[in-house]
Amino acid sequence: MLKFLFLIPFLVISQAGLAENDTLFTPSVRPGLDVSGLARHLLEPEVVTGEVSLDVEWRKSHFVTIEGGLLQVDMEQETHRYQASGYFLRVGADFNMLERNPENPHDVVLASIRYGYSKAEHEAPFIVISDPYWGDYETAVPKENFQAHWLEAGIGLKTEIWHNIFLGWSLRGKIMLTSTDDPEMDPYFIGGFGKSGSNTRLSLLYSIMYRIPIR
Amino acid sequence: MQALAIKSHRIRLLLMLIPAICLGMLASCDDDEVCEKATANNLRIGFYPAGQEEEFWVSIDSLRVLTLEKPEEPVYDTLFSVSSLELPLNHHADNSTFIFDYFHTRDTLWIHYERETHLISVECGFTVFYELQDMDYTTHFIEALEINEPDVTNSLDEHVKIFVPDTIPGN
Repeated sequence: MLKFLFLIPFLVISQAGLAENDTLFTPSVRPGLDVSGLARHLLEPEVVTGEVSLDVEWRKSHFVTIEGGLLQVDMEQETHRYQASGYFLRVGADFNMLERNPENPHDVVLASIRYGYSKAEHEAPFIVISDPYWGDYETAVPKENFQAHWLEAGIGLKTEIWHNIFLGWSLRGKIMLTSTDDPEMDPYFIGGFGKSGSNTRLSLLYSIMYRIPIR
Repeated sequence: MQALAIKSHRIRLLLMLIPAICLGMLASCDDDEVCEKATANNLRIGFYPAGQEEEFWVSIDSLRVLTLEKPEEPVYDTLFSVSSLELPLNHHADNSTFIFDYFHTRDTLWIHYERETHLISVECGFTVFYELQDMDYTTHFIEALEINEPDVTNSLDEHVKIFVPDTIPGN
């Protein structure tokens, strides 16, 4: 089912010819690379995320967007080790609220909505639980799958800094819809969503993008 | 939706400023994980007088609590004025046996449970949660026993009520 989501941008591009006649508008695709994961990795070295995006302006100020990425967590403490790896995907739409400016016709201020999905497997191969009376108990939690579905809404900017190269940020509020209920071990970090433990999250994406006009 | 008339150069300024602000937000938005939740989940027991309709704790003097596995190392050595106590369940096995020594009258309590490893947080590590299945006991001093809350987690619930004679030595 998910693989059909990748077809959306191409279907949308095929509709681009129907776009209204506007000299400041040309249909385009804009692949991007999120760099906020690098900042997170500096703050939390145990979490590594990589994320790419693709938006398609199929109609003036209307964008279809796909974002996807990978997650790896490896945290080792004296009493345990926790590892996770997986992927995440977000699909949705952006709407540009900025009036087109002839000087910078591709700069946008965006309102965004997204549906997010994440799948990962995680394990704790080494656990020591101490008790002052009974002593240390060594155990492990084997690999388990985890899935999550959530919605996002946010605002953001994208501005052209040099010849079709854009910088942009997006501030997102997220709310969890459903996730795998595992009483034994919740994931430490849900790829694309953030740390677990709360059904709501606020996060920032900061991306560099390249705009490719379609015609 | 009505388009906003925002000057593009202001956007560029915002674009430069916002990441710095948001980097601070990113740090502040993440909850600081503190190991607030207890990782030691003891069985909480309350002593109640048998045959009373209203429930209230009864106070017991000179109570020792031992285990079969480590009889030389009492869990509690001569408690006074005790109306409730916490027992550490054996996290190596699915059962624990405690001996209540009350003025040299001994009762044995066999507790059967299921164990489940539970992640408190990645920073704080793991603990063991227990689900009480069954309890057996002798009745030299103890008159009755009731499981009040079978899930022994890091909540502060009282899990077991032990009913003892309402006229007991030391009271």
